[in-house]
Amino acid sequence: MTLIAILVPMVALCVVARGVGFLLLAGVVTALAMLVDGLTPLQEVGAALALLFAAVPPLFLTRYQHDATLERSGAAVPFFALGLMVLLLLACSRAGSTVFPAGLCTMVAGLVAVVCRQSMVWQWAGLLTCIEGILLSAVLGRQPVVLGVAALAGAVVLLLGGMCIHRIMPRVVPLRAAGQRTTRRADPSDGGADA
Amino acid sequence: MSMGMEATVFLAALAFVWPFVGALVVAALPAPHSREAAIWMAGIGCALSVIVFMFPSVGGNASGWDDDPVQRAGRVMLAFGLLLLVLENAVQPDRLLRSLPHVCTALAGLACVAPEPAVGLGILELALAWGVFVFTRPAGRAKTGWGLIRTGSVGTVLVLSGLLLPQGSTVSGLMMACGLVILTGLAPFGQFWRDRNDSFLFLPFAGASILLAMRLRGHGGAAFEMALVAAGLVSVWLTASAGRAGHRQRLFRTFPSALALMAVGVEADVAALLFLCGWCLAGGNRSGRGWAVNVLACFPPGAPFVGCLLLLSVMTDWSWPVAVLTVCGILAAVLRAVPDREAARLFWPEDMAGRVACSVLTIMGFLVPLAMMLGAF
Repeated sequence: MTLIAILVPMVALCVVARGVGFLLLAGVVTALAMLVDGLTPLQEVGAALALLFAAVPPLFLTRYQHDATLERSGAAVPFFALGLMVLLLLACSRAGSTVFPAGLCTMVAGLVAVVCRQSMVWQWAGLLTCIEGILLSAVLGRQPVVLGVAALAGAVVLLLGGMCIHRIMPRVVPLRAAGQRTTRRADPSDGGADA
Repeated sequence: MSMGMEATVFLAALAFVWPFVGALVVAALPAPHSREAAIWMAGIGCALSVIVFMFPSVGGNASGWDDDPVQRAGRVMLAFGLLLLVLENAVQPDRLLRSLPHVCTALAGLACVAPEPAVGLGILELALAWGVFVFTRPAGRAKTGWGLIRTGSVGTVLVLSGLLLPQGSTVSGLMMACGLVILTGLAPFGQFWRDRNDSFLFLPFAGASILLAMRLRGHGGAAFEMALVAAGLVSVWLTASAGRAGHRQRLFRTFPSALALMAVGVEADVAALLFLCGWCLAGGNRSGRGWAVNVLACFPPGAPFVGCLLLLSVMTDWSWPVAVLTVCGILAAVLRAVPDREAARLFWPEDMAGRVACSVLTIMGFLVPLAMMLGAF
C-alpha cells in the first residue's frame, strides 16, 4: 500500500465534487500508482491506458462550449461517495483482505458521479473514473484478462460518449471580426470544469 | 481425430460463424429480398444450433472454450429468438438496422462460450456498442444512446469489480449480482426498453447475461445467489403491485427474466433455460399480444409454465419461506398485472410469427424436461 494509491480515490472524489476538470489528474495519479511497484509490461500497458482515457476527454471538450445543464443534485453527493467507500473498506476488511482497495474505491466514486449527476459530460467523466479504478485494480491484482476487458469497455465509453457529446453539445465558434460585446459573451463558454 | 469428431468441431464452429454470415447476406441484399433471406439464414442457424446441441464437439474443453450442455441449449433458445425477431418484423430499409439482430445474436452466442466470464462480458460490451452505434445514427437519438451506453457500462463495471475481489466474498457476490441485474435490464433496476427497435439488441443481450450469470456462480458464492433471488423476488412483487396501468407494463415485460434470475440463484439451471426460452420468444415488446401475454404470465402449456414448476420444486429444498413468497408473488402478478384479459383469451395466434413462437414454446416445454430426465443436463 503506497501513499499514491490512497491519493487515487481522493482525486476521484474531486471528480465527483467538481467535474471533468480533475479527470486528467486522476489519470496521472492512477498511472503513477501502477508504476510505483515495478515496470512489468502489464503495469506499463495499464498506465498508458489510464493516461489515454484520462487525457483524451479534456482535450476533446476544449472544442465544445461549456455544458450548461442545471445540476439538481445537492452538495451531499461527494459525502455519499465517501460513505460508500468507507462501507467498502469495512466489508473488505471483514472479508480478511489486508490490502487497501484503492481501485474499487475509485470505481465507487465514479459510479456515484454517474448515478447522481445529470450533466452528460459529468457522467462521462464518472464512467471513465470507474474504468480507471478497474484498470488500477486489475494491475495491482495482476489480472491481465480483466485489464483487457476494462480497456475495451473504456474504449467503448470513450468513443460512443464522444460521439454523443459531439452530436449534442454546441461547438466553440471562432470569432473572426469580434466586437467587444460578442467576445465578452463568448468568454465564459471556454471555462473548464463543471461547477 | 476421427471423421465424426472433425465434423462436430466443424459444425460447432459453423454455428458460431453462421449469424455473422447471415448479417452480411442480409445487409448486402436489396431491401425487398432481405426479409426472406433473413428468415432462411435464421432458420438454418436454428437447425445448426440444435444439431450442435445433440452432437457436441468433444475437443471444445481441451481448447479452452467452456461448453456445457446448458449453455449449448441456451444458444438454441437465442437462435430461435433471432428467428422470431426476423419473422415478426417487416422489411427494414436501413441495412445496418436489419442486420443488427444477427450480429447481436452471434456476439451473444460467443459471449456464452468464452473461456472466462470476463471475456464474455467484453464481447457483450462490444454487442452493446455496435447496437447503440446503429440505433443512434438517426438525428435526435444521441441522448437515448448515451443512456443505453451508460447503463450497460455500469453493469459491466460492477461485474468486473466483483470478479477482481476475492472469490466467494460477500462484497464480490453483491457487486456481481447488481451488475448482472442491470445488464439483464430487470425492471425496475435496469432502464432499457425505450424504443420499439430496442429488442433487436436487448433480447439476445439480456439472454446472454442470464446465461453468463450461471457461469459467474462459481466466483460469486452464496451472497451472489441470495442477491439474485432477492432481486428477482422484488421485481416479481413490484410487478404484482404495479397493476395493469399502461405505463407500468415495463415491469410485466421482464417477468420471465426475473424468474430466470431466481432460477439461476437457486441453481435450477433447466428452469432458467425454460424461462430464457419464454424471454427470447415472448419477451421484449411483444407484451401487447394475446399469446405473448399468456406465455409471459406462465399459463400452460408453454416453457415458462414448466419452468415455474421446476423452479418451485427446487426452491422448496432451498428455502420454504422464499418458495411461499415466490408462489404468492407469481399468483398476485398473474391476477393483477396481466394486461387486457380479452386479448389473453386468444390461444392460437393469427400471424405466422405467433404460431411459430407458440409451437416452439410448447415443444420446448416438453423436450427440455425430457432431455433432463434422459440425463442431457
